[in-house]
Amino acid sequence: MSPGQASARPRTNRLAGLARRGGSFLLDWMVWGYVAYGVMYLLNHYWYTRLPEHWYDTLRLPSWGWPVVVLATLEMAVWTRSLGRSLGQRAVGVALGPAAGGRLGLGRRVLRGILWHVTLPLAPVWIAQGGEPYHDRLSGSGLRPVVPDPERPARRALLTQWGIVSVLLGLLTLWVGWLIVGINIQVLIRRAPQAGRIWRDMLRPDFRYFTAPDPVFELRALRYSILDLTVVTVFMALVATVLGAAVAFPLSFFGARNVMGFGPVGWVTYAVVRGFFNVFRSIETIIWASIFAIWVGYGTVLAGILALTVHTVAALGKLYSEQVEGVAPGPLEAVWAAGGSRVQVVRHAVIPQVLPSFWAFTLYRWDINVRMSTVIALVGGGGIGDMLFYYKNQGDWPKVGAVVMVIVAVVWAMDYLSGRLRERIA
Amino acid sequence: MTGYPEGFVSPRPAWTTGRGLWEAVARRADRAGRYLAPFLLDVAGLAAFWILATYTYAWYVLGATAYLLVPWWVLLLGVVEGAIVWESFGRSWGQKVVGRELASGSGRPTASERLRYFVLWHAFGLTGIGFVTVPPLHERLSGLALARERPSSLAPVPWYRTSAGLFTAAFLGVTMAAALGVTLTWESVVRLFTQAGQSLDFWRALVRPDTSILLEAGRDMIVTVFMAVLATLFAVVVAVPLSFLAARNLMRGPIGRPIYTAVRGAMSIARSIEPIVWAIIFLVWVTALRSPFAGILALWVHSIADLVKLYAERLEAIDQGPIEAITATGAGRLSVLRYAIVPQIVNPYISFTLYRWDINIRMATVVGLVGGGGIGQRLINYIWGVQYRQAGMVMILIVLLVWAIDYLSARLRAKLA
Amino acid sequence: MANPYLVVDNLTKVYERGQVLALRDLSFSVAKGEFLVVIGLSGSGKSTLLRCINRLIEPTRGRIWLDGTDVTRLSPARMRRVRRKIGMIFQQFNLVDRSTAIGNVLTGRLGYLPGWRALLGWFPKADREKALANLERVGLRDKAYVRVDQLSGGQRQRVGIARALMQDPDLLLADEPVSALDPATSHSVMQYLEQMNRQDGVTVIASLHFLSLARRYGTRIIALKDGQLVFDGPPTAIDNAKFKEIYGEDAEEVEVR
Repeated sequence: MSPGQASARPRTNRLAGLARRGGSFLLDWMVWGYVAYGVMYLLNHYWYTRLPEHWYDTLRLPSWGWPVVVLATLEMAVWTRSLGRSLGQRAVGVALGPAAGGRLGLGRRVLRGILWHVTLPLAPVWIAQGGEPYHDRLSGSGLRPVVPDPERPARRALLTQWGIVSVLLGLLTLWVGWLIVGINIQVLIRRAPQAGRIWRDMLRPDFRYFTAPDPVFELRALRYSILDLTVVTVFMALVATVLGAAVAFPLSFFGARNVMGFGPVGWVTYAVVRGFFNVFRSIETIIWASIFAIWVGYGTVLAGILALTVHTVAALGKLYSEQVEGVAPGPLEAVWAAGGSRVQVVRHAVIPQVLPSFWAFTLYRWDINVRMSTVIALVGGGGIGDMLFYYKNQGDWPKVGAVVMVIVAVVWAMDYLSGRLRERIA
Repeated sequence: MTGYPEGFVSPRPAWTTGRGLWEAVARRADRAGRYLAPFLLDVAGLAAFWILATYTYAWYVLGATAYLLVPWWVLLLGVVEGAIVWESFGRSWGQKVVGRELASGSGRPTASERLRYFVLWHAFGLTGIGFVTVPPLHERLSGLALARERPSSLAPVPWYRTSAGLFTAAFLGVTMAAALGVTLTWESVVRLFTQAGQSLDFWRALVRPDTSILLEAGRDMIVTVFMAVLATLFAVVVAVPLSFLAARNLMRGPIGRPIYTAVRGAMSIARSIEPIVWAIIFLVWVTALRSPFAGILALWVHSIADLVKLYAERLEAIDQGPIEAITATGAGRLSVLRYAIVPQIVNPYISFTLYRWDINIRMATVVGLVGGGGIGQRLINYIWGVQYRQAGMVMILIVLLVWAIDYLSARLRAKLA
Repeated sequence: MANPYLVVDNLTKVYERGQVLALRDLSFSVAKGEFLVVIGLSGSGKSTLLRCINRLIEPTRGRIWLDGTDVTRLSPARMRRVRRKIGMIFQQFNLVDRSTAIGNVLTGRLGYLPGWRALLGWFPKADREKALANLERVGLRDKAYVRVDQLSGGQRQRVGIARALMQDPDLLLADEPVSALDPATSHSVMQYLEQMNRQDGVTVIASLHFLSLARRYGTRIIALKDGQLVFDGPPTAIDNAKFKEIYGEDAEEVEVR
């Protein structure tokens, strides 16, 4: 740990390519853009609030403001890149060094910064040539990929420019984030007694209606007890997992590169299926539930099941497909060689290889679905969450406590069960 | 000298020493466990089957919810007796799960041996008296023992020819019947088709998103990202020290083990409660009806619980070699921690943290739904306010954000590995 | 032996689980400057013996005197002070893979460094120079700032030796230092140990698998079988009969060149 990695000075004569140059430059510009955002936010928060025109919490600037911000961040990027090793340069692994031997002194670094501005109009020329920029060539410097020197220690990260900038970025993030999120420790402490009451109530759970239906909680003509709704919740997860796996299983083969081949039809199918998986996976189950609640009715168990199923299909489909893509090619070739069709290859070479991990993923998903089904009622998805949110709105915390305890027990049990089964499969 | 030849072991019975006694008890307990495990599995399986079957029957035929339909003691007696019959006269599900079968000293168990075993298990197995001797009394008297199943060179019996296989199939069938019956009510399935038009509005709006809200939604996205970042950062600060208390290999001895159990247990409970539920509790606590602060507290608690588990599992898998080597140089305990353990866990810890940050971005949108602030709150307001075009815009933004963070976190983690 | 440096007296080690008797009433002594080789089959108690000497493993019974102090009775703090004069190298090298070679070597000084400096990683300049010198000595100066997971087996073991050298040890314990290495590399590693023994006067206790290496480098050999001492004498005294006794009837001697 102590003396870090090998020293980072350019040791090759090869210059960094355009992609690395451009990439690191954009990164630096973005870093300073983020800093500008933070500074503006802080200005808004601490200073503009005193002005008669209330700009608090907004990012409003005078009309000349935006060009200033853009130019200022650009300048910062240029100078940090010339004067030392910037964060962007570090991220893509390049550093500025002398063109020939010797050290790159402050004078040449400043010269490079100035030349950057002077030669800016000529940038398209050297970019088109794909070669060395004029500001580098004229200042006798060069941007090169870093090759670690095994005989010399690296400088301590915190003493380098990019190290300092990283720490400052972290502090800025904390400061701005603290304000944006509205962290308020005083409220937390001041209201601790009230919260304490809630916790006490929840820890004295009211299990009177564990098996007997609670007359207060009358849901759509069906009279449910905690136990009844727990069973329904577990069944929701079960049905969704089974349905989801059943749909995802065949679909996953269409989302696997090696099965679909590289023909145009195969490629399009692959792209469509994978795109479907990715988009539908990025939308959380609970958001799906709010959509299906519009469709089949608020508070319907079916809405919850559909939401869970859609997300399960997308998530499992992606995992399954990746497994299919990771199969050993040997058995596939054997079946091809024996004159098997594509279906036969899948049936006899792919499925036997992927089945254990498919089971493992499905069990894992079952675990997740149980967790999700406990809260999906929040947006009208049905299940035990109905009760939880109902009691919470009534302020009946002992009953909330009972429901939460049942949820914890069920989630725990299913987690354990699914974990044990997965161990057996592996 | 006593006159015993060299190496002669003293004739004192082993159980008169503390360790000997402990071992004798442990051996009997082990033997009892071997019988008890399949028996309890069978009892639990049969009971679960009865309950599920009753539930299904009640649901479809009586149109009500019922679990037992008979007094509980009748059920208990029934399943216990059923399990004994099954285990004595056939190969039960429980025996199959633990991989054991009744075996006779002389080949296949005969009917009379099985009958004897059936009677003797009542007397000695159920009561536990039989386990005083090794091997147990019912084993000695019946000539049958629960032995590890022998690998057979014959073709395996298909599942529909074995009682355990049929039981499993019936169990799964009843479960699915109950699950489908309860969850897919007729009215709701009908609505799925009759109200498709209503949702069509939504889908149509989704492809024509309202871009005018882009700026406001962008600001909420920033709140969401900051929620995830800060919740993760604050969680790391707490989770790193806690993870050392939750690592089995580091927490040994009479003080360490209870701490380990307590920390693991608490984290396990905290993890079982979804961030949304945490958000509700914290919303009441910090009183503000809508506040990212409550959301971040919820994410924080859940992240701590999750990270402690991930971290501790990594700690339990560290290489002991460097610890040994650094200890051997005469270094103190803190130095061992700093030079042998920390270098092994830094990168995995960062990797887990990035992974959790990725999850927290998703979760931050979700806690917004209950009023935890950020983009999620805006989305649910639009959906419930029937402003579908705006909701569509927000959903597109969420997808892009989740994608970007997912990609970024995966790339960074790949670099760390 | 006129002036025994290390005395092992009736050492017994019983592992809690499974009642395994790893060492039974083992007694021997070592003079200063000896190169003692411990041979025996796997599981004969060699590793346990070495680890009992610096108490990485707590002996069940018996005493170990090192330079006149009974190390089995020392408090943990005193034991650490003794340990820093006992270098140790391992079969699996036990280096921190993610750290650089010099980072690993410097950990050899931890016993000499105040706790807070160790925590911050502020090694004195003298230590850093010493680390580089020791790496130079094992021929790895040019790999100083390379992560050790990029080094070969022999190089890693040499890093291990440099780490032990940092302790300025009086005693070096080598637990099967060459078992994970190929024959050519084995000799180069053994030669470094020999050099330490001859030039620096470090007493070396090494456990080895191969009798040929033991004969070549040891000044004295002890053999363990099932935790008991079955041979103690000069390398030349091991004849074929003795060999069969130590390694069992079916064993065949293998030469490592």
